[in-house]
Amino acid sequence: MSSLWFLNGVRKGIKTERYPSTDPAAAPQWPSRLSGSNGGNCPVDAITPEGWIKEKCIFCRRCVPDYQPTGDQDIFTVKKTEDTFLKSFHLFPLDSGACGSCNMEFLSIFAPQYDANRLGIFMVNTPRHADAIIIMGVMTQGMKEALDRAYEAMPEPKLVIALGACAVTGGIIGNAPLDREKYHVEIAGCPPSPYTILSAINAARGGSNMRRDSGSGNREAD
Amino acid sequence: MRYYRFGNPEGRFIGNTEKYAAYENVISEHRHEIGAESYQNLPGEFTFAYGPATGGLIESVAFDLHTPGELIKHVGVDPYVKTRPLKIRGLAPQDALLMVERINGFHAASNALAFEMAVEDALDIDVPDRVWYSRLIMLELERIRSNLEVVKRVCEPAGFGVPQNQISYLRENVARIISRLAGHRYFFSASSIGGCQISKSGIETMISSVKREFGEIFNALLESKIFLNRLQNNGNINEGDLLGPAARAAGRNVDARLEEMHMPYADLGFKPFIFDEPDAFGRFYVRSQEILASTDMISEALEHSGNSSATDTAGASGEGAARVESPQGDLFYYVRITDGRIEDIQMSSPSLLNIEAFRKSMAGNIFTDYHFNWESFGIWISELAVVIQ
Ligand code: SF4
Ligand code: SF4
Repeated sequence: MSSLWFLNGVRKGIKTERYPSTDPAAAPQWPSRLSGSNGGNCPVDAITPEGWIKEKCIFCRRCVPDYQPTGDQDIFTVKKTEDTFLKSFHLFPLDSGACGSCNMEFLSIFAPQYDANRLGIFMVNTPRHADAIIIMGVMTQGMKEALDRAYEAMPEPKLVIALGACAVTGGIIGNAPLDREKYHVEIAGCPPSPYTILSAINAARGGSNMRRDSGSGNREAD
Repeated sequence: MRYYRFGNPEGRFIGNTEKYAAYENVISEHRHEIGAESYQNLPGEFTFAYGPATGGLIESVAFDLHTPGELIKHVGVDPYVKTRPLKIRGLAPQDALLMVERINGFHAASNALAFEMAVEDALDIDVPDRVWYSRLIMLELERIRSNLEVVKRVCEPAGFGVPQNQISYLRENVARIISRLAGHRYFFSASSIGGCQISKSGIETMISSVKREFGEIFNALLESKIFLNRLQNNGNINEGDLLGPAARAAGRNVDARLEEMHMPYADLGFKPFIFDEPDAFGRFYVRSQEILASTDMISEALEHSGNSSATDTAGASGEGAARVESPQGDLFYYVRITDGRIEDIQMSSPSLLNIEAFRKSMAGNIFTDYHFNWESFGIWISELAVVIQ
């Protein structure tokens, strides 16, 4: 029976895209970098006199047409990289109070279209084996201790990655689980797309997101 | 309220809200007691604590498994570790919608539509027929993705890497279809009070290929004896209040789509798929059949569907309630609106009864059955672990 599944798998061929070394094959518009000016009526004050704040934006489309999506998936900030993790990077996801969409978009990077494993990026079941913790969702009373314990259990060096508007700024739901200075990587989006997540994680371990086929350059740490 | 009234309990129990108990057509002011039994370990038994933040769990949830070693005697589930307070009261309905969509982002279409329908009921808002078709398409697409995820997760503990990856691939393709249709991979901001904004181009061909590809995987899984053995007789449950696929697997003809007054399920000849195996296999089988049935309904609904813009609710007042069949079962919303603001909102999530059913079904099974059984219920903690303020 297992050989039947093997043949079945081989018959379907390779489904994996080459992102991040090529442009994304199916980049969503929402979320992606917004471009525009003026506009008001933002429910989370992501539009300020200084411009659009990607980490606050929940991509609700209320500012259209003053702001328009560009399709650009590089909406993340890397403040610290660890190139020790360049060959293999082990991630422990922690749901501090997420709605489920960030959880699913994180898992999606392991779907065949993205196949994070091919880049040496793996998910682990315990923080003791983790190089980075991926925090999703707002702060909740019940998860405070679990978050502290997970962070303590991780060996050094370690990275702290905030995934999604809730984790970075509290989004529209509440408060972020940690102060922003504790985050080494901040990934915008509500939820961020798997493309954004994959690029951000790759950049966190010093990997290149250079689009070899399109020449769009390495823009991971903006 | 056009479909609901306050009164004594009557008909099928749907679930408890913060204040009320919801039934098929009645809201009772007395919450329905759900037995929170405790368990004392017998000599030789111990409690194995699992969660809240552990690999293998997609959301934070804590389990206490009482066991003498292999056999599970009793399961305690605490779904409230990650409880989020959500400030919704006092908001205008369209602002409340931004929060409601994020109660369970994976079932955002179901939550948004049930809430919109409750508001429309409260404020006597008429919605054009073409929008009801669009809303049906949204619900069924969400069901396809959710059911694909459950089927994928029951393949995981069996170590069935090939079908698991093939289903992940399909699930991602469905997310891309949703993004194309609704402008967002999770339907956020795709519908509104009185309206809905979707784009249909190219959807029909994409949906037929989902049906064909899933059909092949499903047939191959049905020939995998090892896989089926892990599911059959695992997590038997046919007692108490059951909802959604768990109820239909146990032979019960229950589905909110049967009682739907607006979405054109009856016009499309909808009949729930009813099975007679109340175990993890039955739930897997019903969900798989529902994937295929939903693709057919979407294909038919597409030509009648259309958009309309949001209705202004400023200054309006009223009380309304609605229920939809989310991928997990009946999802209920009640709202009271005063002067264009949400004064009260009550929600009952199918996770409440599904967790109870899972808990009961687990006693007498062994540890290796646990993951298959938990995943077969397709429970989402996020929509239970909220306190609406
Ligand atoms: S998309 Fe919504 S949250 Fe983002 S800037 Fe525009 S109005 Fe604000
Ligand atoms: S950022 Fe958005 S998608 Fe992610 S958990 Fe928060 S509400 Fe959900």
